[in-house]
Parts: sequence; C-alpha cells; structure tokens
Amino acid sequence: MSQSNPMISSQTISEQAIRLIETAKKAGACHADALAICDTGDSISIRNGQVESVEREDAQGLGLRAFIETPNGLAFATASSSDMSEEGLQSLAEQVVTMARISEPDPDAVPPIGANHPTADELSDWQQRHNHSDSGWTLEQGKAAAMECEEIARNYSADISNSEGADAGFGNTHVAYASSDGFAAEYAKASASLSVSVIAGNQDAMQRDYAWHRAFNAADLRSPQHIAEEAASRAVSRLNPGSMDSGEYAVIFEPRTATSLLGHLIGAVNGRAVLQQRSFLADSLNQTIFPDFVHIEDNPDHPDGMGNRLFDGEGTRCTRNRIIEQGRLHTFLADRYVAKRLGQPETGSASRGLTGDIGIGSSNLIWQAGDQTHEEMLKNIGNGLLVTELIGFGVNGVTGDYSRGAGGFLIENGQLSRPVQGITIAGNLKEMFANIAMVGSDLTWFGSTAAPSIAISAMTVAA
Amino acid sequence: MSEYNPGTTPAPTLPVSIETLQSVLAHMLPADADDGDLYLEHSSSESLALEEGRVKHVSASTHQGMGARVIKGEAAGHAFTDRLDTSALLEAGKSARAIAQSGQNRTPIAIHDVSAPALYQAINPAESVSFSERKTLLEELDALARSIDPRVKQVFANVSSSFSDIHIIRMDGAAIHDARPLVRLNVSVVVEHNGKRETGSAGGGGRFSLSRLIDGDEAKRLVQEAVRLALLGLDAHDAPAGTMPVVLGPGWPGILLHEAIGHGLEGDFNRKGTSVFADKMGKRVAAKGITVVDDGTIAERRGSLSIDDEGTTTHRTTLIEDGILTGYLMDKQNARLMGMTPTGNGRRESYAHPVLPRMTNTFMLAGNDKPADIIASLDRGIYAVNFGGGQVDITSGKFVFTTSEAYYVENGKIQHPVKGATLIGSGHEVLQKVSMIGNDLQLDPGVGTCGKGGQSVPVGVGLPTIRIDELTVGGTEA
Repeated sequence: MSQSNPMISSQTISEQAIRLIETAKKAGACHADALAICDTGDSISIRNGQVESVEREDAQGLGLRAFIETPNGLAFATASSSDMSEEGLQSLAEQVVTMARISEPDPDAVPPIGANHPTADELSDWQQRHNHSDSGWTLEQGKAAAMECEEIARNYSADISNSEGADAGFGNTHVAYASSDGFAAEYAKASASLSVSVIAGNQDAMQRDYAWHRAFNAADLRSPQHIAEEAASRAVSRLNPGSMDSGEYAVIFEPRTATSLLGHLIGAVNGRAVLQQRSFLADSLNQTIFPDFVHIEDNPDHPDGMGNRLFDGEGTRCTRNRIIEQGRLHTFLADRYVAKRLGQPETGSASRGLTGDIGIGSSNLIWQAGDQTHEEMLKNIGNGLLVTELIGFGVNGVTGDYSRGAGGFLIENGQLSRPVQGITIAGNLKEMFANIAMVGSDLTWFGSTAAPSIAISAMTVAA
Repeated sequence: MSEYNPGTTPAPTLPVSIETLQSVLAHMLPADADDGDLYLEHSSSESLALEEGRVKHVSASTHQGMGARVIKGEAAGHAFTDRLDTSALLEAGKSARAIAQSGQNRTPIAIHDVSAPALYQAINPAESVSFSERKTLLEELDALARSIDPRVKQVFANVSSSFSDIHIIRMDGAAIHDARPLVRLNVSVVVEHNGKRETGSAGGGGRFSLSRLIDGDEAKRLVQEAVRLALLGLDAHDAPAGTMPVVLGPGWPGILLHEAIGHGLEGDFNRKGTSVFADKMGKRVAAKGITVVDDGTIAERRGSLSIDDEGTTTHRTTLIEDGILTGYLMDKQNARLMGMTPTGNGRRESYAHPVLPRMTNTFMLAGNDKPADIIASLDRGIYAVNFGGGQVDITSGKFVFTTSEAYYVENGKIQHPVKGATLIGSGHEVLQKVSMIGNDLQLDPGVGTCGKGGQSVPVGVGLPTIRIDELTVGGTEA
C-alpha cells in the first residue's frame, strides 16, 4: 500500500508485549499480561465536490496489567503508555507494580495463568481464514469513492439542498497480546469504510440523514451509489414531518434502530453489571424474557461480521454464546473473574483497550432473522409507528425504564402514511422484550452487529 | 512501603527540540497556506475506583504525541503521531500538507514564546493527595453511604485526575503553552427495597488540585446526594406523556442550552448552512429577557481554558442577548471563512483529533423571578431538577435531554417524584416559550462531557430556574 509508513512491524509489537511482561516481573509482579497496539489510518472527506479534509493517524500504545502477591490475596493495577522506548517500558512496569501495591487485594482475583488459550494450530488456522492485512485502498482510491458517493447523493433529487460530505477511511490495526503464562498471539485487521450525510429541504424545514458501510477490504464495501442513495432517500423521505397524538401504539424498529435494542440487551447481560446489581436482567438467568421465536447470539466467527476474534482480551478462546434461545436467557457474558464470581462458564468476552480495566463485550452480536418481510410486518401491525431514528440516552440500565426521542413514520392501514418527528417512545425494556410481536426477515449487518426489523405490540408515544 | 506519589515527579518535557519543530514547520507549510500549527501534548491521568467496599481498580495512563495541521480555504490537512522522533514528525507534517496545491514552501519564521494568562494553576492535580489518602477517602465514602440507609446495597466511588501539558506552535512562530489540570469525583449507589432496585449518582470537579476537591464536606455531600436520588427513585411514579409546561431547576438543567442552542451555534455548522440557526443571526430566537453566554474564562471551571487548542485566548461570548441571536462559537478556520473573529472555541480532545468549534461553559443569565413563584405557576406539569445526558440534531433542531430527578406538579404544588423521562423540543423554538426566569443562576458541579464528531471534551453549563410553557414529556402515562 503506497500510503503506509515504514512502521514498526507486528513482529516487533508482539516482542514488546513479551518484553513488557518480563520487565513487570523484574519490577515485582508475580503475573502480568500486556497488550500492544499499532494503528495507522488515513481518511479523506469530500464536501460539495472538494476535498475538505485529509487525515492521517500513526498511533501506538502499550497496556499492562500486573498482579502482586499480598498476604490477603492478589492485587492488581493497570496502566498504559504511548512511549514504546526501553525507558518507556521500564517506567510503565514500575508504575503499574507500585500502583498494584496500593490496590486492595481481591480473594477472587484471577491472574493470567491457566486460561483456556487457543492452540498454535488454531492460531495459524485462524490467520489463514481471517487474513485481513490490506484495506485495499490508497488515498486516491478512497478519494474517488468519496467523490462519487457525495456526487450521487447531492444529485439524488432536487430536494437535496446541502451536504455534510462523504468520508472514506481505511487503515490497519496490529494487536499483540501476551501473558506471563507464556501465551502470546497477534493479529492484524485492515478495514475500509465509506459514509455520506446529506440534507434535504431548507431553513427551518431541513432534514439530514446518513449511510455508512465498513468492510475488511474496500472491494467488499457496498457501492458508493448504494450508500449515496440510502442516505439521500432517507433524508428526502423525512421532509415535512408532522406530529401525532400521544397514546399507546404498536412500534416497529427498522434494522438500524433495532440494533439499539441489542445494545440495551448486551448492557444488561454484561456479567459485571449483573454482579454489581446494575442490570435489570440480574435475576433473569434461565427465564423466558422474550417470546419463543427470539434467538440472539454472540458469534466470534461469522463470515459477515467485523467482530470476529479467536481469543478475547485475556487470551481466552472465544466461544459461540447463545444468549437468547427460544426466548430464554441462557447466559451472561463474562471474563474470567466474572465467570468465577457468578459461578458460570467463561464466555470469552473480556474486552480490553489500552487504558483502564478489562470490560465485557460481545464479538458479533446477531439477532436471528424471522420470516416476515418488512411489508408483511407493516400489514400485520395495521396502525402504529415505524421508528427510523432515536436520540438521547433515556435508558435506566438498573430498572429497564426506557424513554427516548424518536422520529419515523406513521403506519396507517398497513402502510407508511407520513413522517413524524419530535416525539418520544417510552416503556420498560423487560416489557418491551416480552411484547415483541414479530421479527423481520430483513437481517442487516452494521459492522459487528446484525438485526432484523423488530415489532413491539405496545409502547407509549408522547407528542 | 514507600509511598508512590507521581505528582512529585515533574511531567517530562516533550523530547523535541526547537530546531526539529522549526524544521517540521518549514517542510509542512506551503507558501499559500491560510493557517497551520503543531500541537504537542503530554498527558497523564490516574483513576482509583471502589466497588464492593474495596478499591479494586487502580489505573493510570501516559500519552504523548504531536498533531500537525495545514489549512487552506475550506480544506484542512491533519496528521498525528505518537512517535516523537524526527522522521515521524516530518512524515506527519508531510501528510498534513496533502491538501496543499502549492509546491513552494512558506518562508520560515523563528519560533518564539508567547505567554497567556492562566485561569488555573499549572500543577499536576494528583500531587497534593497520595494514593493511600485517595484510597482512604473512597473507603470512607463507601462507609458513609451504607450508614445513611440500610437499603443501600452497592456503592461505586471513583476519583480521577489528569494533567495535560500542551504546546501550540503557530504558523507565525508563536509558541503558546498551557498546563491543564482536571479532577473529578463520582459516587453512585444501588438501593434495593422489596425486590425493587434503583440507582442514583452525583459528581463534581474542576481544574484544581485533588486536595481542593476532597477537603471539606463536598465529597460527603455527593454521597448524600447519590443516596437521596436513588431512594427517591424507589418512590417514583410513572411520568406523564404529552406536551405540558415544564419548570427546570437551576444548575445542571442548563444542559437544555447546550443541546437546544449551543451546538446549533457552532461556527462549522453555520458556515456550511447545516444548522437550523444558520440564517437567524440578528433574529429573535428566544423570549425577551433571555441572555445566554458561553464563557471559557471562569477560573478553575471544568469547561474553562486559558487558551483554546489553537492558542486563542478564551472569551465570554454572548450568544443570545435579550432574546436576539448575537453570536456564534468560532475556531480560526470558520471565523476566517465567515469574516468573523475567533472566539476561543477551537477545541480538540487531544493531539490525535482535529480542531472543531466547541462550547466551554454555556449558561443563561439570571432574571428577576423567585424560584418558588415559578414552581407555583404550574397548574399541571413537571418540575425537573436533575438530568442525565442529552443530544441534538442540529439540522432539524430537535433536541432531547433526560430527567434523573423530576416531580409531577399540580395546582402549584409538588405531588410526587416521577421516573426518568426524555424531554423533546425544537432548539429554535424552545427558548421562545420561556415565560419566567429565576434570580438563582447556578453553574453545574463540574461533571459535563460533550461529544461531537467522536471527540469528548469537558464542558460546563448553567441555568437559573426557568418556566417553559410547552415541552413534550416522554413518560408512559398517556
């Protein structure tokens, strides 16, 4: 790729992760694990046919977690640094060990030894099947795609009045993980993305919408035309919105907004939130919380997903987690510590950035498609609301209480009748989950999340 | 055991010589550039978090790097690197130049220091309080929360601090330095009663030392506040659904201004004509009596900056005066393109992010009404005192913010607390429906973080008690 710098190779970052662990052990750590990341990326944005910005990133970082032994059990701390020099490694190791000494020991702490690591064969097999080392774009190619996309979107209709521009981005991430039990592995992930945002209407009657797509290789991106037409047609369709009467309505979430429901579910089945009693599903394990036609899984190895991974942020082999099967909540997502505390199997869900503590996250999150087309769903609902936009953060994760700003279309007699905006939809997620009436066949991927249209039989609309 | 106290070690100065920076600048800037700068940053942060009665999460991070920027007309080239060796810096400069047409280099100007008056002390805020003192504090807060009410089941407390050392080298050779401390204390609790759980949280902070934050009773007040809010939630009724008058309490409910008008007045959106406010300069956008300012100059506030991230001294900018739109929030590029003056609102999350026009501390000036009279004016409506987050679509003007403490009011009397509900309105209309303005302006406690274009920056808001005659309340009681 012509744009790439003579970068530190991934071989080196793997070695640096291992060296960092050795340094931490010399500084007094009994166990440690480390992450090393190198990121390079380019992006270009085009607005009104002109280059608006060109950006280049060249990032690197080390993250270290070190454990020390105390009479009351293991204590640990985490630290990160962008300084990959020898002195940088040394001071990071010393800092994290000193901090671990003031951290409170936890009798349940799980050090990075004896994890269920993938084997060398699995690692090499994975690398062959998931070889994403090239995004497939140069800056000129990205620019051409963004130019084409923006131009098609601006010329889509006379109603398109302005543009926020089109962006093409591409880059490479190299990640290395190593732990003091001798496991070390690395992977490279390239990706390319294309997005556009345009405005329809004028002055007080403007409506904006966008579309985007991301793939490992630019060759697999939806075409500039596809993305442009999606954004522009959505913006135009929103023109001249009205309000509606407050009251109870059946509500359909299109795939784009249905992914937010998956997000709320994942927040609630996060084992750490369960442990902390900060989840409205904390007491719902093995209970039927959805109708029996709902199936939701966390799949780390899916041909359409951007979230594929062989091992998680603790080097644990990722498994396919059937979170909801026939409506029943089967498992919480857990790292090794949470699995131990909850007394459940590990799910390979440790999610880790350079900074801060280990979190919990899904790989590819998939709400399995149902058998009704979008049109059939509208027909079966008869009268209600199609939600195409949600804004705000009105979800209480502890109680499941839900109240968000929304926009979309009124459904009358089984058809979309007119756009509505400036409304809220409210309910409680537990009830919303139980009241799902239909699941569409229109499964759509958004990076590492896939959802079909979802119909809920009743929610309160305020207008 | 020796006490680790990172503040006693001075933050390392950036390992880049003036000669190297001069060379990067000389190679980066084409003769026809309108602007360009280098932004060098060294940031360190520390965080201690308590849960289950133990300080189990101790973390730190140290990051340094350089952002290079070249601006020509409406175009901007931006590159950043975490590597501070000469070749990486020169390469970044070359990447930033990608937007340039001219092959000619600009005549280099010698780099010289320019000083700006500081609104906060150039100290690492962590310096004043050792790790073990911070740990003891969190443990005391945990014990206090549990002693207030037996229904308190979980306590989470977090104390964090950061210190950023910034050098901006401008195209004219001016080198401007800012050292930015920031601290934050947060407490949140889960209460349980009869199988029902609720949560409440409170926080505070600013650009001052950790010792200022934790000395005195402020930390204890945050615990009491978090417990009070959580217990209130246990008694909350369903919120009403529909359009009704709403009274907002003073302080943090100023998030209304941030969402409803602040974002819509940012220079980039108005230059491009994508904001609903783009054609409203000099026009009425709020009721008479309403004046709204964005003020980055208040000493030690979370949203304040001595200089913005382009080296411009921050200002107090009047956005709305007596109901009339009078000002936009400007960085240098958008100001130049619109023929306006930069207002010190060019901000970036870090060297690794581009500059955008952003808010600092945004608030409405006080009026003359007594808060009690404003509440008493409600026949049937909502009195909202605390909020979670908010969001806006600056093109349609639709904005939302979600209550975390609100009451149903009938015949001027507070009836009962209601569950969190999202309020939705139109930014260009909502302030025209304000009919009463309290005499009790308050700024928020120092907890705001604003997101735009994937970047987070600390901000502040403020509001006196106000009455809005009509706003849509997104409850479940239709």
